Amino acid sequence: MVIVKKRNFKKQDIYWYIFIGILILIPLIPKVAGNTFIQHVLILILLYASMSQAWNIIGGYCGQVSFGHSVFFGIGAYGAAMAVVKYGMVPWLGVLVGAVTASIVAILISYPCFKLKGHYFAIATFAIVEIFNRLFMVWDWVEGALGLDYPLVEEGWKNFMWYETKIHYYYGALILFVIIFSVVRYIEQNRFGFYLKAVREDQETAESTGINSTLVKLMAMGISAFLAALCGAFFAQYSLRVAPPMVICLSMSMTFVLVTILGGAGTFFGPLLGAMILIPLQEYTRVLWGGLGSGIDLILFGFLIVLIMVRQPKGIMGLINEFLNYKKNRKQNFPESQVKE
Amino acid sequence: MALLEVKGISKKFGSLLANDNVSFDVEEGRIVGLIGPNGAGKTTLFDCITGIYKASKGKIIFSGKNITNLPPYKVTHLGVVRTFQIVHTLKEMSVFDNIMIGAYLREGNSEKAGKIADDCLKACFLLGFKDKRAGDLTIGLKKRLELARALATGPKLLMLDECMAGLTSTEVKESVELIKNLKKRGITFLIVEHIMEAIMPIADKIVVLDGGIKIAENKPDVIIRDERVIEAYFGKKYSKRLQAKKEANKHG
Repeated sequence: MVIVKKRNFKKQDIYWYIFIGILILIPLIPKVAGNTFIQHVLILILLYASMSQAWNIIGGYCGQVSFGHSVFFGIGAYGAAMAVVKYGMVPWLGVLVGAVTASIVAILISYPCFKLKGHYFAIATFAIVEIFNRLFMVWDWVEGALGLDYPLVEEGWKNFMWYETKIHYYYGALILFVIIFSVVRYIEQNRFGFYLKAVREDQETAESTGINSTLVKLMAMGISAFLAALCGAFFAQYSLRVAPPMVICLSMSMTFVLVTILGGAGTFFGPLLGAMILIPLQEYTRVLWGGLGSGIDLILFGFLIVLIMVRQPKGIMGLINEFLNYKKNRKQNFPESQVKE
Repeated sequence: MALLEVKGISKKFGSLLANDNVSFDVEEGRIVGLIGPNGAGKTTLFDCITGIYKASKGKIIFSGKNITNLPPYKVTHLGVVRTFQIVHTLKEMSVFDNIMIGAYLREGNSEKAGKIADDCLKACFLLGFKDKRAGDLTIGLKKRLELARALATGPKLLMLDECMAGLTSTEVKESVELIKNLKKRGITFLIVEHIMEAIMPIADKIVVLDGGIKIAENKPDVIIRDERVIEAYFGKKYSKRLQAKKEANKHG
């Protein structure tokens, strides 16, 4: 039985490597290579998929819906920006410091919040976003509400900055994407992933099966915040400007949550699917109906979420699994389904 | 020395005394039954032993270690594992993954943990349901799944809280077989059970609680004749009538 399971894992892994291979080759398509708008969309898809996957660790697998992730995202963004703008360094050290800081902040603020369960936890994290938003608005060291604007520096991987083309940013985003998705894949297939799910399903059971649920949640939060901060640093390097309303705000927090939930919280491919729907929707509506005012994409997106959630709370991945199971059941027509419940 | 020693445990909820100075021992390799009418404080006692509630007074000692008021996960690490009266299956996970949660306690390697889980799957007659969603199982299977998960943690003392309530008679027989098999592996049991035909033949000792107080502790065949126990179960009136009848039978 174990051997069969192992082979399944391998098969899935091969699909995964093929998929990454395709992503590496995409910029070679002439249409993509010549069109910075398509490149921009692809970069954002990868970035948002990575962000949501980072959120998925705590929000999806562990079931603790956090609206506070824009704080960790923002700390990562500020880490990179401060290194470049204030200290004139290459961003890398700032990225690391930002990510570690985000991780520590996440653990410190979630420790008291984890005493709350379910909706109350979510509300507490809401409040935290507001606190940090105001804090960064008035904090002189990080230039307050003015924000940080990147100076012109030399192009290249050393400074992680390019002006002429977006292809390099695409590969940067791809590296980020592969790192975060690999981390989650590793977690999912090992003890920690099982423990996360156990805590999500039933904390009391988890505890009486020997799981220190507080520790598991704190670790998940720490890892999740670290990865979210990496995404924030990429965002700063890409948009060349960081200000509190851009990164530390509720709408950014909502993006983490909505993308994952649309795709399927607690599933490996959910965040990617969610981002593949939201980002094109967002960018193309902005181009097509920009004149109608902002937020058309969110109206459509919200409508889409309602439609899908009514049918299947596990999002698009849930719909896909439902369909696959239906097909499998029909093909095998196996006798177990006839056993009375 | 007994494996588990419960020494004078009291548990208060406000003014309600759910357990009042309860003491008994569970000897290694034995099956101890804990019975009593509804509301006698059996589950509360379980919760105190496993650390879900903090005992108001008293001590619990497990193989020489004081485990009073330790958090549940630490108690489980020491080898005291329980199942719940109201089943706590991890619904969205498969049957196999449910058992894996238990197996990971002592084995971090996924492959080796998988072997332990397979073993427990077999021991609890769940092989045919390996990949099913745990939430879709029948109640009997869910109870057996919970037992399998507890078993996978490699326990020394298994505490089963009404693991046979609501099962069909065939399922009860299977569960009794299962417990007997596990006892042979050297696992000690503390079982709360209402189904007398299930618990009486397998128990080495029965502890009876009523209104939070221990009213009897003895071998099963002595317990069934104990007057206080009969009174607790059937009420004063009925037990008096029963006695009168007995006496009438004796004389006439």
